[in-house]
Amino acid sequence: MKNAEFVDRLSLAEMGENRCGTVAQIEGDSRFISRIVSIGLTPGSAFTLLKNDGRSPVLVFCRDTVIAVNHKESSQIFVKVES
Amino acid sequence: MSEIKTIALLGQPNSGKSTLFNNLTGLHQRVGNWPGKTVEQAEGEFVFDGTIYKVIDLPGSYGLSANSEEEVVTRDYIQSGKADLVCILVDASQLERSLYMLADFVGIRLPVMLVLNMMDVAEAAGKKIDVAAIEKRLGVPVLGFSAAETERYPEFFKKMVSAIKTPVCLDSGSLREELVSGGELGEKTDDIISRIEAALGDFEYGVCERIWIAEKLLEKDKLICGIVNESLPFARKNAIDAILDSDEGRDGGILTGEAKYRWVSKIVRESATPKSIEKVFSKWDRIATHHIKGKFFAFGIMVVSLIACMILAFPGMGIGFGMQPVLQSLVERAGNALGVWPVVISFINLVLVGGTCITICMTSFIFAIIFVFRILEEIGYMARFSYAFDNWLSRLGLQGKAIMPLFSGIGCTAGAVCGTRVLDTRGQRLLALVLLWAIPCGSKVAVVLFLASTFFGSAAPLFGIGYVALIFASFYLSSRLFGKKLVPQNERVGMIMELPPYHKPHWKMIAAMVGRSTWGIFKKALKMILMVAALFWALSYAGDGNVENTLLYKIGNAIEPVTMFFGMRWELFVSYLGGMFSKEASLGIMSTLFNHTGEAFSLVTRVAASENLGEALASTISKPEALAFLFASMFNVPCVLAMGTTYREAGSFKWLATIMGYYLALSLGLAFIGYHIGLLIF
Repeated sequence: MKNAEFVDRLSLAEMGENRCGTVAQIEGDSRFISRIVSIGLTPGSAFTLLKNDGRSPVLVFCRDTVIAVNHKESSQIFVKVES
Repeated sequence: MSEIKTIALLGQPNSGKSTLFNNLTGLHQRVGNWPGKTVEQAEGEFVFDGTIYKVIDLPGSYGLSANSEEEVVTRDYIQSGKADLVCILVDASQLERSLYMLADFVGIRLPVMLVLNMMDVAEAAGKKIDVAAIEKRLGVPVLGFSAAETERYPEFFKKMVSAIKTPVCLDSGSLREELVSGGELGEKTDDIISRIEAALGDFEYGVCERIWIAEKLLEKDKLICGIVNESLPFARKNAIDAILDSDEGRDGGILTGEAKYRWVSKIVRESATPKSIEKVFSKWDRIATHHIKGKFFAFGIMVVSLIACMILAFPGMGIGFGMQPVLQSLVERAGNALGVWPVVISFINLVLVGGTCITICMTSFIFAIIFVFRILEEIGYMARFSYAFDNWLSRLGLQGKAIMPLFSGIGCTAGAVCGTRVLDTRGQRLLALVLLWAIPCGSKVAVVLFLASTFFGSAAPLFGIGYVALIFASFYLSSRLFGKKLVPQNERVGMIMELPPYHKPHWKMIAAMVGRSTWGIFKKALKMILMVAALFWALSYAGDGNVENTLLYKIGNAIEPVTMFFGMRWELFVSYLGGMFSKEASLGIMSTLFNHTGEAFSLVTRVAASENLGEALASTISKPEALAFLFASMFNVPCVLAMGTTYREAGSFKWLATIMGYYLALSLGLAFIGYHIGLLIF
């Protein structure tokens, strides 16, 4: 993963389907951070975006798990997308 | 006296905690509330090798942060140090993510045993886990397990006994290293953890080590921040505040989370192979999570489930309804032959026989709903419901999962009430219960339509539409009235959840669990129904069969001035009260009172809405009165069994009374409005 080239940095909400990336930064209050961290999304974690239709919760595959994140809140998670 | 040991089960939602708890304790369990909380407390016992083991099923939470009431309860219990062994359950099929709970537990000095549950699912997904390697690395007992497979329990007992005999706590050294190193965040962290530790000095809190307290401070855990604030001298407190307020301190929650996962990754990546992504997100899931197709798909599943429920309930209904006339005529003939007093025969038939038969009928639908729900949850579809309907239901303060109990309310309110158990927090469950009572079951719809078509003929469909509109309006009202208290705004984070992999259902275990709960419900329901039926029988018995000689008639006439305020003459009011027992009872009472059938009053006789009854009602009752009664019937208390199951799920009499009071007020309020508008129109 370390050698992969990153072409873009954007939020999870804007990311295209079936692309891989890593979490770069998470913004929000400690409550949100605690929820999102405890479900497995932390800076540096690699994931595949399974589904993002622009309104339903975003689906990512990360740490062996399919995780759904509310669309609005997924814009608080910034990612690096692999080229 | 034998020794008593306490085992606490700790794990994330869907880790299989309740399956383990149920299989360990069987019928020896109690469900109540944690003192002073609206969180369910499940406790049970089992005996193994002469020792009594008390099992505490802690509420499911993702970690040990104290954000929701459930998490506070879990944390408080852990910190109380009452457990002799904390059994941490993780989902082996999602090992890396679910081990977070274990990482969050590091730094708590309590004996631990780790159970990698659902090994069968992990293996089916092509995942290999080296349990011995994990055990060696962690230094605490680790068991590869599948809680749903009863034949595997000897392994559990063996591990558990040795874990209690030689208790070991997790060593915090390796996690501390990760926290200090900062990993990906590297230099940015500036060894913040050591600085907090230094400021804490020798401060420790019960079973919590200093490192754990430092983590929670970084995570801005309110409870721990409060404790530290109270206990430390001013200067050290200030030092900590300064660290937490610094740039790196503000991102503390991310720092600790990242370190914990790094710690987990090191364990997992050496001892387990990951599973393939194709197996994780199938073609099915693409449909199930589509924003339009997914809802249609879910509706399809709901309809199929409802049909399955009816089929499953059918044998029980058949037995209940079939038995009643046979037994009653038998009792009557035997009684007459033996010269037993008619009052005794009447009591046996209308209370004992009728009550038992109606309980069998009603419980059979409950059995069916619990069974079908359990399967949907077990195979993992319930989470997809949540996903598909989250947008809709979050507006009411509920999770998407609530769609399933709400929808099944169309089949049977009492059964659907049991289905609210799929919701994660008690606040959500209570809110769903409140909404659920407004949803008419099949019988209620039949009664309302019968009344509407009897009194308003061709305008009846309008009432149908109006009824649906009123139900949605009541949802809005209920969520405004109860939502804020039950599901506080700050607990309403948007959906963040995992979609568990599909599982094969374990039929044997499901059947055993459903059988146990149904039997429990049946016993309680029978007691309650017999009591209510006996009370009503006493009020409505007249030796000569003349209605005017019953207590009910006298009481009804006495309170008529009050009930007329709501537009209901005493006959209608008594029918309305009977509707609280069951919708059929409401019709039965009406046909006794208006049809002058000469039959005795009864709550348990099944009366279909007959042509005669319609004519009799239409000729006696004025339109405004009909309007009042119609509205009152729409939002009447569902039935006696719904009250019973609501009491069981809410776990408090206060909440049952609150919900009942709310619906009484709602239905009588609507009756009042309907009556007075009717007086103006007609």
